[in-house]
Amino acid sequence: MIPQSLNPVQQVDFAFYIIFGISILLLVGITLTTIWFVYRYHHTRNPNPEDISGNLWAEVIWILLPTLIVMALFYYGWVGYKALRTVPDNAMTVKVTARMWSWVFEYENGKRSSVLYVPKDKPVKLIMTSDDVIHSLYVPAYRIKMDTVPRMETYAWFNPDTLGSYDVFCAEYCGLKHANMITTVEVMPPDDFTRWLEDKSASQGAGRALALFEGYGCIGCHTTDGSPNVGPSLKNLYGKKQQVTLKDGSTREIIVDEPYLRQAIIEPDAAIPEGFSPAMMSYKDVVNEDDMNVMIQWFMHGNEVSIDAGRELMMAEGCISCHSTDGSLVAGPTLKGIWGRTAVVMQDGTERSVPSDRAYLLESITDPGKAVVKGFDPIMPPYMHLTEEQLDQMLQYMQSLSEDK
Amino acid sequence: MASDHSAVSFFETQPGTRGGITSWIFSTDHKRIGIMYLWGIMGFFIVGMLLGFLIRMELIAPGRDIMDQQTYNVMFTLHGVIMIFLVVIPSIPAAFGNIFLPIQIGAEDVSFPRLNNFSWWLYVAGASLALVSLFTGNGPPDTGWTFYVPFSSNVTTTNVDVAVMAVFILGFSSILTGLNFVTTLHRLRAPGMTWTRMPLFCWSLYATGWIQILATPVLGITVLLIFAERMLGVGLFDPAKGGDPILYQHLFWIYSHPAVYIMILPAMGVISDVLPVFARRDIFGYKMIAFSSVMIAFAGSLVWAHHMFTSGMSDTAVLVFSFLTFVVAIPSAIKIFNWVSTLYKGSIYTDPPLWFALAFIFLFSIGGLTGLILGSAGTDIHVHDTYFVVGHFHYVIFGGLGFGLFSAMHYWFPKIFGRMYNMRTAKIACVIIFTGFNILYFPMLIMGLQGMPRRYYDYLPQYTFGHQVSTVGSWILVAGLLLMFWNLLQGSLRGRKCSGNPWGGASLEWQIPSPPPHHNFVTDPVVDRGPYDFRGVERDDCR
Repeated sequence: MIPQSLNPVQQVDFAFYIIFGISILLLVGITLTTIWFVYRYHHTRNPNPEDISGNLWAEVIWILLPTLIVMALFYYGWVGYKALRTVPDNAMTVKVTARMWSWVFEYENGKRSSVLYVPKDKPVKLIMTSDDVIHSLYVPAYRIKMDTVPRMETYAWFNPDTLGSYDVFCAEYCGLKHANMITTVEVMPPDDFTRWLEDKSASQGAGRALALFEGYGCIGCHTTDGSPNVGPSLKNLYGKKQQVTLKDGSTREIIVDEPYLRQAIIEPDAAIPEGFSPAMMSYKDVVNEDDMNVMIQWFMHGNEVSIDAGRELMMAEGCISCHSTDGSLVAGPTLKGIWGRTAVVMQDGTERSVPSDRAYLLESITDPGKAVVKGFDPIMPPYMHLTEEQLDQMLQYMQSLSEDK
Repeated sequence: MASDHSAVSFFETQPGTRGGITSWIFSTDHKRIGIMYLWGIMGFFIVGMLLGFLIRMELIAPGRDIMDQQTYNVMFTLHGVIMIFLVVIPSIPAAFGNIFLPIQIGAEDVSFPRLNNFSWWLYVAGASLALVSLFTGNGPPDTGWTFYVPFSSNVTTTNVDVAVMAVFILGFSSILTGLNFVTTLHRLRAPGMTWTRMPLFCWSLYATGWIQILATPVLGITVLLIFAERMLGVGLFDPAKGGDPILYQHLFWIYSHPAVYIMILPAMGVISDVLPVFARRDIFGYKMIAFSSVMIAFAGSLVWAHHMFTSGMSDTAVLVFSFLTFVVAIPSAIKIFNWVSTLYKGSIYTDPPLWFALAFIFLFSIGGLTGLILGSAGTDIHVHDTYFVVGHFHYVIFGGLGFGLFSAMHYWFPKIFGRMYNMRTAKIACVIIFTGFNILYFPMLIMGLQGMPRRYYDYLPQYTFGHQVSTVGSWILVAGLLLMFWNLLQGSLRGRKCSGNPWGGASLEWQIPSPPPHHNFVTDPVVDRGPYDFRGVERDDCR
């Protein structure tokens, strides 16, 4: 371990305390003196004023004293600033890209996320830029703030020494949804972080749940595609009516809900679905609460795997901050019903209608400036880094938003 | 100075002329021009105040309360643009400077009276254009009053062009006024009115005038460059064309930081004039106060990049600008100490102008001391672009300039109107405004330290309490302001008549009738005493 000789948060806070201490002393002194003078020398108590045009020594003192004070304050402020700017050698690097109105954090292995996950006790250096206008990354907990400037690289660093979740704000006004350009720093135990970082699946929810099903060996008996196996398939299980056999041999009809699924994992024998035999082991004390939640979430929302991945991807890439999914208007056209409609676009200065199909949507993502939907500004950056598979996931998600429900 | 009884107040039609509206809007009389500025500034102050009130209403709870996000962004932009360019920058110099600077130095008018009238017309033109920007094009600007690129140049589709054009024109109004004042002070002082016999209000306007002449053209240039960027597609600031957005920030703050001193220096001048009159004694350290005004004007022109510690400029630049910023703190501290010392062994009359002046000292001290946090590089990083800055700025500008302006209004009111407002109501209004002010802005300092970014339409739940307290403060503040304005309006129409010198002032404006006649002086004044020499000067009774 590198000794933590330097903690910028403490250095900056020290400067805060010193400046506030001196300020309060001065303010109280000035205020009390003023009040005392106004009381003592009120014309009813002091009818005859005395003209004092100045006093050389008094004035010399109150030129020198503030000079010394402000120079000292300048010094402490500068020491704090140096600490914020001096990155330790062992820092890990995360690339930050800001855009209207979301953050993308990219790790050394290429993994991208809209939340800044970091391991505890490992200094983090953020190398930042912006895709459009000036933003500013602000983490109050670490006293850091640095503008992200298009086509320029800036940096900041912090030392995540306590587990927890800390707010990240955009501090430089950047247009309509400036106030929503918020995310978090999640400080995780190093092992959890490594597991997260190595997890190749693009999505946090569905992908992670599937990985868990595999990791815990569920897939050995339960399929996720609806086909039967030793146990019931996991697909479309949630909300289903099911005949079950209880321990005492009686049968009854239940609805597969969250408590039932939890019970089925922790205590499988308590209620056996009709047509299956009690063969599953109990996962009591095997599955931790976090993983359980991820799996339950998958049962509830995640059956349409690829759509879910598309949704998570579009959130991570910041699409959702400009394109709503519920028909409301933000900075770009809504994604609701986007598939298959006819779009009126401006192309090379002329207006024309194009069907919003797979080819058009793909082009809109990779080269958005080519044909911009009429009434919107050409502010969307091109998303060239997406893989074939990721684009597919996005398109499936958009298609799902366009089906009548 | 014996006043001619036939002298007609400058409000009345001058004998032998037709009068009417044209005798005002085309007037070259510095007093009439000053009054017209005063009305304009007050009108826009009310508008800006209502915008601020609506902003606070929106922030009373997280999420949407009374307006949508785009409206909110427009609101804070307009609040900033109106308050800064239409109220604060012209306020004291253009209104009270115009009315009293020539009189205080024994002059008949400013050096260039027609140019003075032209300045007012530019102000009207700029203000009208600002209003036009609200109702034309693609909606009012939503960029914040700082117009940062590339957002303002490439991204927003709102009516930025018209708004920056308005700022350009208003800038010229300011330059010409500054030029006029500096020339007047050099050329038109009455016999015996030496530089050290000038009231400190004139000294502060002198320092302000130089900043207006030297710094405002940079704003004009910057605005034209934005124009070129938006209209002609010149790539000065646009990184996609090889431009540098940080260059814009430098250019903007080279003007806009000194502009803060254009705002505050005249208020300091008012306080330097008011305190001795109500303490009935000479000001403490005249030369030091006058000199510190010039020092602030000079050093204040070299600190602009302290607005840019997080912009990505080099650490060396941060070092230099942080240091220079602390240097500016010294002359401001000297002024505060000298003002407080002026009360020592005085014979103090606690009339409303003094109440506002004392509130000024307290609020401006908080503003100045919180400025130390912002000048210090390490601490600035944390509070930059948070509510701490919003709080600090309002303590300096509203607590400083605002209260200086209110003090000036109550101080010179009987001179301008020849009537007196209700003193008791004025003091009550002062207390309400002071209380509301602190409830409104102090929580902002705390929220800023807790990390609440500014220009946020919505906020996280942990900031709810601070925002609610602040909003309640805004109600109290607005109530106090309305009471104050109502009281002054009543006083100007129905107040008790006052003779020439109700406060016992020793400077020249108190030696002529109230309201001043068309021609300031019947006989050319000869000055043989200092502006704060109250020996033998009595307080006329009008209460």
